[in-house]
Amino acid sequence: MSTSAPERVPDSITDGVTGRKISLLDWRAANVRSSYLLAFIMVLLLAAIGYLAALALRPAAAILFVGIAVVVAGVQSGVAYWLSDKIALASAGARKATLEEHRYLVNVTEAVAIGAGVPAPDIYVIDSSAPNAFATGRNPEHGAVAVTTGLLELLDRQELEGVVAHEMAHIRNYDILFLSMLAATVGAVILLRDLALRVMRFGGRRRGGGSGRGGGQAQLIAMVLLVVLLILAPVLATLLRLAVSRRREYLADATGAYITRNPEGLASALEKLRDYSGERLEASEGVRHMFFINPVQRLNASTVLATHPPLDERIGRLRRM
Amino acid sequence: MGTIIVLVVLGAIALFVVSIYNRIVQLENRFENAWSQIDVQLKRRTDLVPNLVETVKGYASHEKEVFEQVSTSRQAMMGAGNVAESAQAANMMTAALGRLFAVAEDYPDLKANENFRVLQEELSAVENKIAYARQFYNDAVLQYNNSIETIPGVFLANPMGKKEQVFLEIPETEREAPQVSFS
Repeated sequence: MSTSAPERVPDSITDGVTGRKISLLDWRAANVRSSYLLAFIMVLLLAAIGYLAALALRPAAAILFVGIAVVVAGVQSGVAYWLSDKIALASAGARKATLEEHRYLVNVTEAVAIGAGVPAPDIYVIDSSAPNAFATGRNPEHGAVAVTTGLLELLDRQELEGVVAHEMAHIRNYDILFLSMLAATVGAVILLRDLALRVMRFGGRRRGGGSGRGGGQAQLIAMVLLVVLLILAPVLATLLRLAVSRRREYLADATGAYITRNPEGLASALEKLRDYSGERLEASEGVRHMFFINPVQRLNASTVLATHPPLDERIGRLRRM
Repeated sequence: MGTIIVLVVLGAIALFVVSIYNRIVQLENRFENAWSQIDVQLKRRTDLVPNLVETVKGYASHEKEVFEQVSTSRQAMMGAGNVAESAQAANMMTAALGRLFAVAEDYPDLKANENFRVLQEELSAVENKIAYARQFYNDAVLQYNNSIETIPGVFLANPMGKKEQVFLEIPETEREAPQVSFS
């Protein structure tokens, strides 16, 4: 029980970019809206790329290219929506926690879920001495939290509550839905780029003999646009995704502190994880952003390539609450 | 033309009123649901008590006063008919169990008993859940009270027969309850 916790923990945070105060409760609605918007933009973007590709390469096949693009977008977001949780849990080697073996973890998680006002998530354990955790699930009804055995050994009850509350915040705020949609968008753009580059090379050879018509201006412009879009889109989308991911971590910290009414538990957990130097968690690039701290220590940093903000900054913000 | 404008305006007002009405009902459901969360945990705790008392009696049968206190609070808990009574009985039980665990500290054999350890973890987990559920309940009540005391909800609260709800107090004894280590 967090008896020493302060009664008042802020229920809003100040947006670092605009300086406006944002209620933690409003984030959920904003996230759901943005997720649908993203899915829509993804379809639009892929259709545009498909159309340009068709225009630049083979006008007659425009419908086909757009069709492929839309199907790719649909499959990507469908997989992100329905399967991302199962993929993440499987690739992290997580196994379901049982009451007999992990009574303590189950109890802590159920208590925090009550405080967060969400159904108790499925609880998983990852056998690794590296302390870390992640959450997944497209909505609170399908939420799952996974923690490593190392985390259970390293943290005391209040610290564990803090970490679990941070993960619960990701679930409650629909961060996972939003981020997996964003990841799917980036993935689809990259896939389309590779596909188009291949077609371009193939198409280029075919036209190598030279049709005397000179192709026409429209085709040339489409070609230039396509190349720019294909080169820039994945880079921009990736940078956007990383920036969004970093902001979500601050938000989840703030929400976690609010749920437990105890910023110190979370701050102290982050401190222990910062000072930990032992076995590292093996996590593929696709899932690293999901964890409580990035398994690659140098990606908890203040660079554009980091998925998480610097640990010292996260600790500092919690302590200043 | 004039009739159409009047109808549109009336329709807009009706929609607005409906949305306020729905909001109030939604918030009311939320705190009622929050209470049922507390209730579930209180029931679970009440169910765990006889087992705990039996286990402790096996090692410390002469600590009659504490058993009495626990038993009284359990009776009060099972007889409670409304939120206020439940909350009061729950606080009594929290205090009684706190004393029981304090007494148990003097019996090393009891503390080593596997059954006792599981019950102790379960009971402090339930206490923890009650604390979180109460926090969520108070948050929900705050939102509900705000919705019926501020404009525009305040105009509907009376006709709907909605009244301000009271917060659940955190008992002093609980703040001092001995912390159990689980590492």
